[in-house]
Amino acid sequence: MRSLKLLAILIALFIAIPLFIVVPMSFSANASLEFPPSAFWLGNYQHFFTDINWMQPLFNSLYIGVATTVLTLMLAIPASFALVRHYFVGRTALNLLLMLPMIVPQIVMALGYYMYFGSLGLTQSYSGIIIAHTCLGIPVATLIITAALKSFDTNLERAASSLGAPMLTTFRLVTFPVLRPAILVAALFSFIQSFDETVISVFISGRDTATLPRQMFNSFRMEADPVISAASSFLFIMVLACMLVPLAARLTRRATRGSIPAQAAH
Amino acid sequence: MNEAPSLRRDANLAKPAASRSNLLGRLFKALIKGPLPLYLPAAIFLTLFFIVPLGYVLVMSVTEPKPGLGNFAYLLGSGRFFAVLLETFKTATIVTVCSLMLGYPLAYIAAGPARRLGGALLAIIALSFWTSFLVRTYAWMVIFGRQGPLSRWLETLGWTPPPKMLFTSFSATVAMTHAMVPFMVMAMYAVMKRIDPRFVRAAQSLGAHPLRAFSAVYLPLSLPGVVNGCTLVFITCLGFYVMPVLLGSPNQQMISGVIGDQIEQVLDFGAASAMSVILLVITVALFWLYHRFIGLDRLWRK
Repeated sequence: MRSLKLLAILIALFIAIPLFIVVPMSFSANASLEFPPSAFWLGNYQHFFTDINWMQPLFNSLYIGVATTVLTLMLAIPASFALVRHYFVGRTALNLLLMLPMIVPQIVMALGYYMYFGSLGLTQSYSGIIIAHTCLGIPVATLIITAALKSFDTNLERAASSLGAPMLTTFRLVTFPVLRPAILVAALFSFIQSFDETVISVFISGRDTATLPRQMFNSFRMEADPVISAASSFLFIMVLACMLVPLAARLTRRATRGSIPAQAAH
Repeated sequence: MNEAPSLRRDANLAKPAASRSNLLGRLFKALIKGPLPLYLPAAIFLTLFFIVPLGYVLVMSVTEPKPGLGNFAYLLGSGRFFAVLLETFKTATIVTVCSLMLGYPLAYIAAGPARRLGGALLAIIALSFWTSFLVRTYAWMVIFGRQGPLSRWLETLGWTPPPKMLFTSFSATVAMTHAMVPFMVMAMYAVMKRIDPRFVRAAQSLGAHPLRAFSAVYLPLSLPGVVNGCTLVFITCLGFYVMPVLLGSPNQQMISGVIGDQIEQVLDFGAASAMSVILLVITVALFWLYHRFIGLDRLWRK
């Protein structure tokens, strides 16, 4: 058992160490991918945060991500209600349709959008990318929300309406608050999916609507733009912070909770 | 004299018309109250913006450059395309096996009784899962690079000059394995967490050696997670684009990379569409097989 634990820790290190390598690399003053770097500076970050060629894609990605999330939720939430609460002709077909974007390989869709949006004049536009990302986001959002709806106790709604609440009030005061965690998780997944999506963005976004993954992908191909290290490190530290902040909050809460009885004793 | 009957006829005509509009109204009301307005927006959206572009690919594969199955005949008779398919399957298989071997012990310990260690392992898996593929790609570029830590280490061991690792199928395979382990662990953890630890203890108290208790009790119970993880990883690998293109060898491309080249450089949409259809058919067939024997809903049940 002990050796197995050691093995698991070693495998976890194989997962973790490559991620953390991007942080020291971002301070490297070398133009090449030298590791460990022989000189350090902050120039990569300065370039990243002042160069329009990097800031524009970052803001494009944020904008596209938010719009995708809103649109995905607007489509997925009602569809989830239909799937869980109603039996109707074509329900299985609808379920399949909603899951299909998860099955089809992204390169196939990249080609499809390239030709389709080309004929609609939507390539190199924000709407094209938002539409494509919404299609990709719908399956996961639907899965998360239907899972929450299945375990939803409909007696809560019946109780509300038997007490005279109109349908919308019931939804606002009973249904929505119970589903809120699932909706938030679905929103998070949609946003991250859009923010990280590379393949379709590479093929259908133009210079002005380039997303951050597209900009990173292209600078990988051009090779040796050291700013990419700052971009990578920035993205990684964002994820790390999002994970560590709730942990730290929980630890401090636990610590303060521990100190309250001690204060009461004084 | 003539007016009265005609009026009556009109009244007779008006009656069924009224009840018909009433019926339509009732039908409309039922539809409004029913599920239709709930799912119609999503269904229309996906049809217009997912099914239609997918249809474009299907149609282009048999119409471009000229109608017929010429693209498929050419591809299926081409040794180069066969080599690409073989490389794709080979890489997907290696990545699946490697990430299973790395993922199983990790998921086993994470689902086990050691709470603190399990939490830490899951946190690392989540950290990797949420980090962009491109960031992980960059990390592997540094590690496998000519001036990277691995090359230096091999040099100090006396392997001079160090072997070329970046832009080979080796670097792409390692990076893809690293990227797929989190998927594998999450699929297996979901199943392992639900295995009652008392089963294994019961087997041991009845005299089974711990290894035998594991292989006869725990392993079969964890198999659904293994199958889920392997299916997900294998299918994801078949269509993987970013890592094979950026880290792999240009001479040993996987099918996604070749499709990308056809779009961007060769501008041969017929060939690109036909290859996409072949990739799509393989993917859907694998999902169908999984569905046939296990059930798709199990794959996504959390």
